[in-house]
Amino acid sequence: MEQTHVDSVTQNQQNKNNISKMINLSDIIGDVDISTICGIEEVLEILSSNEEEINRNLDVILSKQCDLDTKVSNLSRALTNVLKADTDSKKLLNQISHTSDLADSVSAKVRRLDQARSRASECQKRVHDLIDLQLCSQGVNTAIKEDDYEKGAGYVSRFLSMDKKMLQRTADEVQGNEDISSVASAVKNLEEGTVKLSELVNFKFDEAVKKDDLASVERFFKIFPLLGDHSNGIKKFSSYISSKLSTKSQKELRNSLELAKADKRTHLAFADTMTTLLENFAKVIEVNQPIVEACYGNGYLFQMLEVLQKECDLEVKNLILEFNKIRRINHRVNQINDYIKTGGSSTSSVQTLGHYRTSSGGGSVDKLNPKDIDAIIGEITIMHSRVELYFKFMRRRITNDLENCNLTEKETEKHLTKLENMFNECMLNRSMQEMLSTYLLFERYFMEESALKAIQLDAYDPGQLSSSMIDDVFFIIRKSIRRSITTQSMNGICAVINNAASCLEGDFVTALKGPLKQGYPSGYIDLAQAYNAIQSSIQQGKIQTNDIEQARNNFIVQLNNADMSTEYTETLWTSMESEIRAHFNQMSKLENNILESCLTELKSVKDSLKAVTDFGLQQLKSSAIKPRLNQWIDQFLTYNHHLTEEELASYEAGETFVQFLIVQIDSLLNQFKKSLSSRNYDALVSILAAEITTRMERVIKKSTFNRLGGLILDQEVRALGTYLTSATSWSIRDKMTRLTQIVTLLNLEKLSEFSEYFNPNDNQSDMPAWRITPSEIKQILTLRTDFRMEDIKRIKM
Amino acid sequence: MEDYKFLFKVVLVGNAGVGKTCLVRRFTQGLFPPGQGATIGVDFMIKTVEVEGEKIKLQIWDTAGQERFRSITQSYYRSAHALILVYDISCQPTFDCLPDWLREIQEYASSKVLKILVGNKTDRDDREIPTQIGEEFAKQHDMYFLETSAKEAENVERLFYEIAAELRDQARSKDASVSSQQRTNHSDSIGLSSLSAKANYFSQNNCCTGGASSN
Repeated sequence: MEQTHVDSVTQNQQNKNNISKMINLSDIIGDVDISTICGIEEVLEILSSNEEEINRNLDVILSKQCDLDTKVSNLSRALTNVLKADTDSKKLLNQISHTSDLADSVSAKVRRLDQARSRASECQKRVHDLIDLQLCSQGVNTAIKEDDYEKGAGYVSRFLSMDKKMLQRTADEVQGNEDISSVASAVKNLEEGTVKLSELVNFKFDEAVKKDDLASVERFFKIFPLLGDHSNGIKKFSSYISSKLSTKSQKELRNSLELAKADKRTHLAFADTMTTLLENFAKVIEVNQPIVEACYGNGYLFQMLEVLQKECDLEVKNLILEFNKIRRINHRVNQINDYIKTGGSSTSSVQTLGHYRTSSGGGSVDKLNPKDIDAIIGEITIMHSRVELYFKFMRRRITNDLENCNLTEKETEKHLTKLENMFNECMLNRSMQEMLSTYLLFERYFMEESALKAIQLDAYDPGQLSSSMIDDVFFIIRKSIRRSITTQSMNGICAVINNAASCLEGDFVTALKGPLKQGYPSGYIDLAQAYNAIQSSIQQGKIQTNDIEQARNNFIVQLNNADMSTEYTETLWTSMESEIRAHFNQMSKLENNILESCLTELKSVKDSLKAVTDFGLQQLKSSAIKPRLNQWIDQFLTYNHHLTEEELASYEAGETFVQFLIVQIDSLLNQFKKSLSSRNYDALVSILAAEITTRMERVIKKSTFNRLGGLILDQEVRALGTYLTSATSWSIRDKMTRLTQIVTLLNLEKLSEFSEYFNPNDNQSDMPAWRITPSEIKQILTLRTDFRMEDIKRIKM
Repeated sequence: MEDYKFLFKVVLVGNAGVGKTCLVRRFTQGLFPPGQGATIGVDFMIKTVEVEGEKIKLQIWDTAGQERFRSITQSYYRSAHALILVYDISCQPTFDCLPDWLREIQEYASSKVLKILVGNKTDRDDREIPTQIGEEFAKQHDMYFLETSAKEAENVERLFYEIAAELRDQARSKDASVSSQQRTNHSDSIGLSSLSAKANYFSQNNCCTGGASSN
């Protein structure tokens, strides 16, 4: 609509313009001389063309009439609709305000009604209370007389449910009435009855306990809440159960060893006893929870546990005393501590860290065999996990019970903290913490001693890359960490992970590094060494080649061990992490953080192992590679690099330098190819390539070349590059770049070609960027005797 | 990802009830919650501090003081960069136990670990150990020394900030010495100068340095 409106306005304006044009005749005539026919005709022509245009415009305007008409009619129709809507909405407004008034008055009425109803029901209740009061008052005495405690307690319970203040007010309101005395006396009578009944029930309960009459105990237990004596009932009942459990567990403890022997589970006797002991308590809670909830309501389970826990603490204490005695825990702890002390001091000069001992360390006759405590460690972990389970069970039960209490969040929170505090402070928990401490000491001893033993008994099968100790050590460590998971204690697990990291970084790394520190015995090539070897063999009167061979093997095997260990460590921590996470699906944030941090510590062992590997490879380089390689490459200096065509042909026909070099290198590498792990071998080739290029560069700089000499050199370096590339799966091209560039310079046909090769800013071509500085380039070019010094100086870079 | 330049592990040790947890809480959360239960095993907090524009992340391990947690807490010594040994200035027995703690540190911690002796609870007026005695002890055993009050927030920030600064300087000079070994000898001077600059850090802040050796 808007759009068409605008359109029509612009059209109107155009029309107006036309009209004004038409009216102003003089404009049309303009300069035309109308005194001549010619002029008149011209004007006429203009006029008629104007007329035509006007007619056209008129036609256009008229053609729009229809459209405009419909629009106008649409508008007028819409207007009626709008008017109708207006009146409708006004009507609606009226209706709504009317309805709201109505609703207000209705709800006021409802409120009044409700008030009236509640008053009526309150009234009713009071009447009922009064009636019941009389009934209860009469009933309670007869019930007591008839020894029907349930019935009596029922009356009391009814009485206790009444609002005392209300009763008092009722009594006041009906003052003057003769009933007043009866209300007051009924109250008094009932209060007395309550006390009497309570005393009776207490007495009867105690009597039943003495007689060990479970049925009566339970009968009176159910009466306590009716008399409003919940806490007392729970306490009395729990103490009764405690005493029952006490005798039971004493018997069980006495029989534990015999029972275990019969089942051939002697090594788990105490774990089994612990299990039954804790199960007994859990059973009590499980069995009695419905009764307590039915008779006492929610929220009383905690009180029950408080009493039971004391008994549980006591029984566990006895059990652990017995356990410590039979399993000679204290003796063993002392043995280990003594051993650590003596061992620690003797090797402290070798170790920067802590208490590590050499395998011969300590030397105490009384040394504990790690295998001896293996079973005890297992037993302790089971005991510990049972307690964790016990706490979990109790926590769940009590929390559920509390949550059903309809307490405010704050109150629930308060109760839960109280529960946690009780758990934290109870003897059972403390005993378990002590037990965990023993476990950790034992586990550490077991892990470290077993690892040392594995290192000591290290065996190497010919044909294998690594030796037995890495499998054994990692097996032991995995066993220890796995076992720690069964304790169900995150603190315990993390401590064992920490100890595992210490063990690996300490004894294990030392064991790997030992042979590597002595270097790779290269034997015959190094003259000085060979001389020393001969000297000492003469002195000792025996030939040492066998020893050298063994030392070499040992070096290579430990180097491989170090390399494989990085992988083993990776596997160890990833698999342990997933196993731990599978066991603990509900970790707190704190636990998660601690675990994470400890695992990172274990992970970082990899860096130490990597450093050992690198150290070993460097040792190998300096003792096995460098001396020989230098000799071979220095041969280059003995060759002629100023060749004529004929010399070139005869050189190529014979054994060239590069063929000689490759044969030598190949035989060197073959020594290691089979014995080194593939990663170590690749690293070795890489080191070798780096050494070759630096040494080659040195000998090249000591020589001079003519054109053909440069050509040959280029071919030879290419051949060398191809050979080294084929020797390894790693890329060594990068290592060769500098040498290749030097050789390219020496292989220039003419100095003028130089600019084609040299383009330091060209990153697009396949040529890697120049690694040689301009001054070096000039220096290298001078090695070509056929290039003139002045020309070289003139080169622009 | 958090961005920080250094990550250091700081472990607090000392007898039960000397206020290790309170020191950590005061520093990390600015709280002094009295009547807390004893720490069980280890607790773990992180705070990133800024020293001279560099972010340093401190992983603070609060350990349980009670004997029965010893084998858990011991396992954390090895990876610690700094060990804070805390005693209660109003409780002689906690001071008397220090040699035992040192023996344990000697046995389990790295020999390069930074050791700080802290006398806590200076807010109490029933002091039993004079500042000088603590100072003396720290000097003898090659430790830094500081007296704090977690309750009054006295010296708590300073304790941790100075540890952070010291550890950062140590890490730097170590880097420098490593690279100086790799390069030629003239770069040695860099390592040396940063070393001597660092040695003054604690003393600049008017706080007793325990001996000169801080490498």
